[in-house]
Amino acid sequence: MASIDYPLERPAVSLEKGFAQHLYEWVATVDHKKLGLMYVVSALLFFVIAGLMAFVIRLQLMFPNGHVVGPDTFNRLFTMHGTTMVFLVGMPLVAGFANYLVPLMIGARDMAFPRLNAFGFWIFLFGGFLLYYSYIGGSGLYGAGSAPDVGWFANAPLTEKAFSRGHSTDYWALGILVSGVGSIASAINVIATAFSLRCPGMTLSRMPLFVWVMVVDSWLILVALPPLTAAQIMLMLDRYLGANFFNTQQGGSAVLWQHFFWIFGHPEVYILIFPAFAILSEVIPVFSRKPLFGRAAMVGAVVAIGFISLGVWAHHMFAVGMSSWSNTFFAGSSMLVGIPTGLKIFNWTATMYGGKLRLQTPLLYCCAFLFQFLVAGLTGIMLAVAPFDWQLHDSYFLIAHFHYTLMGGLVMGIFAGIYYWFPKAIGKMYNEKLGKWQFWLMIIGFNLTFLPQHIAGMLGMPRRIYTYAPGRGWELWNLLSSLGAMVQFVAVACLVWNLVHSALRGEPAGDDPWDGWTLEWATTSPPPEYNFEKLPVVRSSRPLWDMKHPHDPDWKYE
Amino acid sequence: MSVEEHHGEPGERTQETHVQLPAPTFWPMIFAFGVTLLLAGLVTFWAVSLIGFIIVLRAVWGWWHTVIPHEEHEYVAIEPEHRPAPILVEYRSVVRLTVGEEGHRAHLPVEVHPYTAGAVGGLVGGAAMAILACLYGLVREHSIWYPINLLAGVILPGMGNATAEQLRQFNAGVFGAALIGHICISILVGIVYAAIMPMFPKYAALWAGILVPLFWTGLTYPLIGILNPAMGEHISWPWFVVCQLAFGLCGGYVIARSTNIRTFQSKAFVERAGLEFPGSHPEKEPQ
Amino acid sequence: MAEALELTADALTMEREWKTPDRGTVGIIFLIVTESALFLIFVLAYLVYIGKSVVGPYPKDVLEMPIAATVCLLSSSLTIVMAEHQLEKNRIGPFRLWWAITILLGLYFLYDTALEWKKLIYVDHLTISTNLFGTTFYSLVGLHASHVTVGMTFLLLVFTVSLLGFPIETQKRRVKFLSWYWHFVDWVWVIVFTVVYIVSAR
Repeated sequence: MASIDYPLERPAVSLEKGFAQHLYEWVATVDHKKLGLMYVVSALLFFVIAGLMAFVIRLQLMFPNGHVVGPDTFNRLFTMHGTTMVFLVGMPLVAGFANYLVPLMIGARDMAFPRLNAFGFWIFLFGGFLLYYSYIGGSGLYGAGSAPDVGWFANAPLTEKAFSRGHSTDYWALGILVSGVGSIASAINVIATAFSLRCPGMTLSRMPLFVWVMVVDSWLILVALPPLTAAQIMLMLDRYLGANFFNTQQGGSAVLWQHFFWIFGHPEVYILIFPAFAILSEVIPVFSRKPLFGRAAMVGAVVAIGFISLGVWAHHMFAVGMSSWSNTFFAGSSMLVGIPTGLKIFNWTATMYGGKLRLQTPLLYCCAFLFQFLVAGLTGIMLAVAPFDWQLHDSYFLIAHFHYTLMGGLVMGIFAGIYYWFPKAIGKMYNEKLGKWQFWLMIIGFNLTFLPQHIAGMLGMPRRIYTYAPGRGWELWNLLSSLGAMVQFVAVACLVWNLVHSALRGEPAGDDPWDGWTLEWATTSPPPEYNFEKLPVVRSSRPLWDMKHPHDPDWKYE
Repeated sequence: MSVEEHHGEPGERTQETHVQLPAPTFWPMIFAFGVTLLLAGLVTFWAVSLIGFIIVLRAVWGWWHTVIPHEEHEYVAIEPEHRPAPILVEYRSVVRLTVGEEGHRAHLPVEVHPYTAGAVGGLVGGAAMAILACLYGLVREHSIWYPINLLAGVILPGMGNATAEQLRQFNAGVFGAALIGHICISILVGIVYAAIMPMFPKYAALWAGILVPLFWTGLTYPLIGILNPAMGEHISWPWFVVCQLAFGLCGGYVIARSTNIRTFQSKAFVERAGLEFPGSHPEKEPQ
Repeated sequence: MAEALELTADALTMEREWKTPDRGTVGIIFLIVTESALFLIFVLAYLVYIGKSVVGPYPKDVLEMPIAATVCLLSSSLTIVMAEHQLEKNRIGPFRLWWAITILLGLYFLYDTALEWKKLIYVDHLTISTNLFGTTFYSLVGLHASHVTVGMTFLLLVFTVSLLGFPIETQKRRVKFLSWYWHFVDWVWVIVFTVVYIVSAR
C-alpha cells in the first residue's frame, strides 16, 4: 500500500488561517459533522428568532386589551412563529442530529451522498432566508403585503388570490417548498447511509436505536413531505395561473387543502418528535448504567408509529363536518398510535428503574420529557375523541396540548441531546451548574406558560385572537402564561451563554466523558475528519462496552 | 491483555498514513442558491429567475465535473497526535439477569389467593359491613331498614324520591333487591381483592384493610349522585368510611388467612400439560 | 492472548465477508418512493374532482386516448433495457442505437402531449383556469410530462457525452439508475392514463 501516491493532499494546515480560508472550509465542506453542526446552529438561531416572536405574542396577550402590536402584525407573528418552529427549527434539527451522529454511530466515514448532503443544508438555509425576506420584500414590485399571515397551515380559501393579496402567501409556499427539498435530500441520505455504510458486524439488529429511529423518521419525511409539496404546487397554480384547486366558486374544495395539508401535517409531528425519541433512547441507558429495556420492542414500536401515523391525519379536521364513519375511523386510529408511544414511555421508565442514575443535565431533561410528553399524550388522547374535540377545537387547550408535545417533548429531548453530545462535537465540557440552572428555569417557565393555557382553553379562549376583553375569566391564566414566557426567556439565554462560553473557555471534555457505549465515543472529541482511523468491527449493540469489558463482552450474550 | 491487541476494534490504529474522503466542493451550495433565486423570481422580478437559471446551469456544470468521470477525493493525513486515548479496560464484570432464575420473577404474581377465599372473604366482609350499617340505622335513624332501603337505590332508581319516613319502613321487595345486590357486590369485590392482594407492595394488610377502602370512598364521593341518588342525598360519610373499613379489614383478614396457590404460568411444564407421574408433583407426595 | 488472536482472525473474516446494499440503489429506490407520494396526491386530487366541474368542457367531450404515445412511452422502457444490456457487454455502438431509439420514443411522447394540449387549448378552449377538469388535468399530466422532460434531459446528456467520445462504459452504475428512473416515469404513466383517459373519460 505504500506505493500509493496521494495527489490531492491538501497543503499542511497553517495555524493562522485567514477569514477567507475559514469561510471556504465551511462553505465548501461535504463533511457530515460540519454540516450537522451548521444544521443545528442555524436551527438554534431560528429557534431564538421564533422564540422572540412567541415572546412578543405573550406580551401582547399578557393583559386584556393589549396594545403591544396591532392585529396585522399579530397575524404575521403567529404565522411566522409556527412556520419557523416547524420547518426551520424542527426539520433542520432532525437533519442536523442525524447528519452528525448516524455515520459516527454506524462506523462510517461520511454520509452516503456527501455533496447531496451539502446541497440539502444550503437549500434549507436559503429557503429559510427566502421566507424571512418576505419581511423586507413581501410587497415585491407589485403591491400590498408583507410577511405571511395565514397561519402555519394556511387554510384555503384564505390563501386564494382573492383573500390574500400581494405576495406574502407566495413567500410562505415557496420558502417551505425550497427548504422541503433539503429535508427530502437529507432523508434519502440518512436511509442510504444507514443501509449501505454500516461497518463490518453492524447488523440491523445491532444498530443503535438512535439510527433506527432516524431511519424511520426519514421514511416518514419521504412519504409525508411530498403531499405538502404537492399541495403547495397546487396553491401556487391557483395563485399564479388561476387554477381552481381550492377555488370554491368553481367547485373546488377548501377541505381538500386541509386533507392534503394534514396528510403531511400529522406525520410531521411524529417526524419532529422522533429525534427526541432517538436521543432519549441513547441518553437514558448511559445515564442509568443499564442497557435499554426491551430493545426489540422499541424498534417495533417506532416502526409501528412510522406506519400508523400515516393514517390519523383527519383528527385535525373533526370540526369540518366529516361523515361519522370518518370521525370514528380517525378517532380510533389516533388512539391506536398511542399504544406504541405508551410502550416507549414504559420502556424508558423501565430502563431507569433500578438503574444507577446519574442526575446530570441530559438525564434531567429526559425525565422532564417523560413527564411532559406523558401529559401531552393524555391530552392528545382526549382530543382524539371527536365530541371532545368539537368542544375544544382551535382553543388554547389545543395550543397547550401541542406545546407540551413539541416544547415539553421535542425541545426538552433536543436539549438533552445538545448537552449530551456537546462535549463530543466541540471537545469542551459545558458548565454543569449553569445547565442545571437552565433546566430548572426551563421546567418552571415552560409549565407556568402552558399549564394555564389548558384552563384558558377550557374557559373558551380561542387560538389566534390578538386580544380579548376583560371579565371572561382569562386574565389570570394569560398573565401566568406571559410570566412563564419571561422565565423561559431567561432559561434560553442561559443555554446560549452556556454553549458559547463553554465552546470558547470550557474544560477539555476528553474522548468519552459519559462512559458511553456507542461508537461515537470511541473516537476523539471533536472527531477527526475521517471519524475513525480504521473502520471498526462490531459484535454487539454496545461495541464500546465490549472494548471496555473484554472479559465479559455483550456479544457473548446476544 | 491490552486494548491495542484487538484487531479492528474502534480506535484501532492503521498502517496507512492517509484516509480517502470526498473532496470539498462549493457547487452544491451554488446550485442551492441558484434554485432559490429561480423560485424567488416568482415573488420579486423575472430577472431574478433569469440570474438564478444562469447560476443553476453554471453550478450543474461545476457539480458534474466533481463526480464525472470519477467522484473527486482527497487524502486526509492521519494525525497521530490526535488519536483517541486508549480505552481503559474494566475488570469488574456485571451480573446478568436470566429469565426464570432464583429471585427473578418473570411472571407477576407468582402466587395468588384462591378465588374461593375471595368469595368467602367478600361474604364475611359484606356481613361485617351490613352489621355496622344496620347499627348506624338503629342509632341514628331508629330503624335497621333505613340503610338497607338506601342501598337498594343502586338497583331501584325510584328510591331517590322516597321520603325519610318511607326509608324507615320495611318493604320486602326492596329488602330482597338490597340483599341480592349487597351479596353480589361483596363477592365480586372479594374476588378482586383475592386477585390483587398478592400484587400489593409491602404491608398487604394495611393496603387491603385501610388504604383501598379509603381510595374506594374517595372514588365513590364524586360519583354517588350518579350511581345511587337516594344514598347521595341521605348518606353519612363517617359511617360510610367505617363500613368500608369493616369490609376491608374482615374480608382482607379472611383472604389473607387462605393458603396461597401458585399461578399457572409459574408452574413447571409437566404440571401445565397435566402430566402426572411419580415425582412430578413433589408437594403432593405423602411425606 | 489466544482469545485475542482468535478475535483478530474473526474480525478479518467479518471484514472480508461483510456486505451491505449499494448506496445508489438504496438512494434511487427511496427517491422513487418519495416521487410516488408526490404523484399520489395529484392523482387523488384528480379522482376527487372527477365530475365536480361546474362548467364544460368535460373529459368525455374533449379527451382522445393517446394510444400511439402510450405505446411509444411503454416500449421505451423495453428499449432502454436493451441499451443497458448492450452496455453491460461493452458494445458501445448498439448501446447508442438503442439509446437513440429510447430518446426518439420519449420525444414522440412529449410531442404528442404538446399537440394534445394545443388542441385542448385552441380548439376546445380548455385551460388550467377553465374548470376543475382543466385544473386537475393539466397539473397531473403536466407533472408527469415534466418528469418525462427531466428524464429526457438526462437521456440526451448521456447520449451527447457518449457521442463526444466519453467512455460511457465507466458509468454503468449511473446509467442503470437513470434507466430505473425512466421505468418509474413510464409506469406512472400507466396510472395517469388509467385515471385520466379511462376512468374519468367514461
